[in-house]
Amino acid sequence: MKVLERYGLLPDPVIEHYKKDVDRTLLREHLKLTPQQRLERVVAFMRDVDRLRAAFRKRP
Amino acid sequence: MTPDLLGFVRVLSSAAVDYVIVGGVAATLHGALRTTLDLDVVYARSPANIARLVAALAPYRPYLRGAPEGLPFVLDEATVARGLNFTLVTTLGDLDLLGEVAGGGTFERLRADAVPIEIDDAVCWVVSLPRLIALKRAAGRAKDREALAELEALLEERDGLPPSGR
Repeated sequence: MKVLERYGLLPDPVIEHYKKDVDRTLLREHLKLTPQQRLERVVAFMRDVDRLRAAFRKRP
Repeated sequence: MTPDLLGFVRVLSSAAVDYVIVGGVAATLHGALRTTLDLDVVYARSPANIARLVAALAPYRPYLRGAPEGLPFVLDEATVARGLNFTLVTTLGDLDLLGEVAGGGTFERLRADAVPIEIDDAVCWVVSLPRLIALKRAAGRAKDREALAELEALLEERDGLPPSGR
């Protein structure tokens, strides 16, 4: 049985089209982390973005 | 403001609030790579749980997001009991308190197959990945299409079974 059907979900052709562009190598790397590590990684990334935005606002 | 997502989880779980994490943070915890700027939780509507919820959040000054300053808004038990869904700003960041989400997502229904996740010493419950996909499909928002594609690919990678639609 295919994955979606296993959970009672039918494939949506529009979503299937979008799915072709998903970078699965990144997902596989993320799946190696614990849930807490995944959340910490995203929060750290957002903090870095905040710092870059602040630096951008202060540019001469 | 970068939300203190871990702080939210610690506050709610240490106060024994019955809630299930949904939305972007749930997607992140399951392995999605998209970032999110708020925490969405579906909370139990029992009076006892509402009391725990408002007491836990009170120190973080919850206020209606986007509302003018100075409104006589207090997130107390009566307010939560009279309402259902609240989009809030707090000193920890933005928080969406949801009594129910599209697709019939009450706390009791979501909790039935939610996944326990340990963060520091706290255990929190996260909507299951298949249920999260079903909720996003039920919401029917165009902006969710890319997120749905990622979540479904994630489910396929996680379960290691042949993808659908091929």
